[in-house]
Amino acid sequence: MADAAVALDPPGGRPQRKLLTSVSTGYLLAGPALLVMIAIFVYPLGYSFVMSFFRWDLSAPSAPFIGLNNYKETFASPLFQQSLRNQLIFTAATIAIEVSAGMGVAVLINGKMRGLRVARTLLLIPPMIAPAVVGLNFRWLFNSQYGLIDALLADLHLPAVLWLSDPNWALVSIIIADVWQNAPLMVLLFLAGLQSLPQEPVEAAAVDGASPWQIFWYITLPLMRPIIVVALMLRIIDTFRTFDVVWLMTQGGPGGATSLITVYAYLLAFQGVDFGHAAAVSYIALVISLVLLGVLYGSPWLKER
Amino acid sequence: MAATTEERAAAGSVEILQPPRRPFQIGLAVRYAVLIGTIILTLFPLVWLVITSLRVQSDIFAVPVHIIPTSVTWRQYVNVFTQYNLAGYLWNTVIVSLATVVCVTVLAVPCAYAMARFRLPGHRVIVTLLLIMRMIPVVALAIPLFAVFASIGILDTLTSLILAHTAAKLPVAIWLLIGFVQDVPKEIEESAAMDGAGTLRTLVQIVTPLIAPGLGASAVITFLFTWNDLLIALTLASSENAQTLPVGLTNFVSQYGVDWGAMSAAGVLMVIPTLIFVWFAQGLLVKGLDGFDDRNARVSFSFETRRPH
Repeated sequence: MADAAVALDPPGGRPQRKLLTSVSTGYLLAGPALLVMIAIFVYPLGYSFVMSFFRWDLSAPSAPFIGLNNYKETFASPLFQQSLRNQLIFTAATIAIEVSAGMGVAVLINGKMRGLRVARTLLLIPPMIAPAVVGLNFRWLFNSQYGLIDALLADLHLPAVLWLSDPNWALVSIIIADVWQNAPLMVLLFLAGLQSLPQEPVEAAAVDGASPWQIFWYITLPLMRPIIVVALMLRIIDTFRTFDVVWLMTQGGPGGATSLITVYAYLLAFQGVDFGHAAAVSYIALVISLVLLGVLYGSPWLKER
Repeated sequence: MAATTEERAAAGSVEILQPPRRPFQIGLAVRYAVLIGTIILTLFPLVWLVITSLRVQSDIFAVPVHIIPTSVTWRQYVNVFTQYNLAGYLWNTVIVSLATVVCVTVLAVPCAYAMARFRLPGHRVIVTLLLIMRMIPVVALAIPLFAVFASIGILDTLTSLILAHTAAKLPVAIWLLIGFVQDVPKEIEESAAMDGAGTLRTLVQIVTPLIAPGLGASAVITFLFTWNDLLIALTLASSENAQTLPVGLTNFVSQYGVDWGAMSAAGVLMVIPTLIFVWFAQGLLVKGLDGFDDRNARVSFSFETRRPH
């Protein structure tokens, strides 16, 4: 094998030759994985990028070039605008709830508590199970006839809510399901972060007579900044990929009320057989999430540390 | 900082008298209430799923809802195998998940080793691309893959699913393993090279055993991501030839309505292997949580590993 030559080179051997061999060995090792990713990941993505400038309909014999028309028509489409609005609401609401609730719970249960170890194991469950099962489960819980949640509301003498068929509540239902699945991940992430923080500043502030709230706000929170940023980035990336929960709960309905970007793209491609527009939508989604990540990454709030 | 340290030294005797941890003096009762409430909220929806799967049909459609089942039955679990093709979905899911784990591991280990140890030209570009690939919405990949696989005629086969999942899971696995390889002390490899071991031998016999926890983590993640996937299977598999469990779940919704009992039983069966995996991989995952460090990218990915998709 070619790689043997590198290792057998004596330590004092000519450096240039060693570098050259070592580069080719490196590529030999990395090559198979890179080739697979190029063939089955990069190439299809590039192909769909190119095809987003064509009228791309798999049933039609040819695909004429139409320039930016797919993008223009997408932005002009009311259903796209609705999906984009849903997506931004979904992203903002889930992240706000999951990060603040996750932080609150993590700060409160951090420390020596009985059952914390068990709780950490249990909290791993929701983020690890299939989002499809989560969607199915919440569809059942939110069922307006036989569902548990409306039954509990009735016990409290509150009016029943048509969770999944009322357009105003459907997106809320999706957000609740997502929070159930992902807030535990935030708790675990922040718990781990809290345990990695230096104890000195907190103890010093306590000695100086700071209240628990002051300690949290002025000491813990600023120290947690890098971890919060990681959490925000993970959630932004994930919310722009959310599909399964919506698909099992509402398939984007009623009337597009829960259509997120990926759901819209999927429906365009596989129910509308309109691959050109679907490709354009998926690229728009990617660009928006990259812009959000860029804004977050460049924000002065992050830089202070 | 210096001042506070002195102060602490001066206040040392006071600290013995007073509880030293004033910061979290919020009533312990409140904290336990939060802990217990969190556990209940986390578990209850799943418990409800299990309860639904064990109910008799008339109990499922009872108004008002009986919280406690009037009787318990295994019939739904039998139904999913006799009236629905759950065995087929299960078989497909197992094959696709295991084959993807094997393909990803075999491809990712040498690639991660090369990325961590060889100063390859273009190394930075490749690593950045891996990160970007991780961010791409699955639907953006699924749409053109459908077209590509249709043109080579492998749609609706397990092969197409394995290929798609391998490509989609490789970036995360490689990224994760790069970190583990970097943690291996270089001296070990250098002394192996001195002893005349070739690169391939060093990788297989020296490095691979040392990154075993990383291999385990990457295998578990890849398995769970693949096991849980809906979108790729929904796109590429149109019949029971290749449909997996998550797609199977959508098949319980018929024109006559949803068969909730059977669907819940299928959901429970689908979650069981995941729970077993969480249980066995938990030591590894919690170790990862405890060994939290500040290298942002690394941290984000070791956390990413806990997300099924």
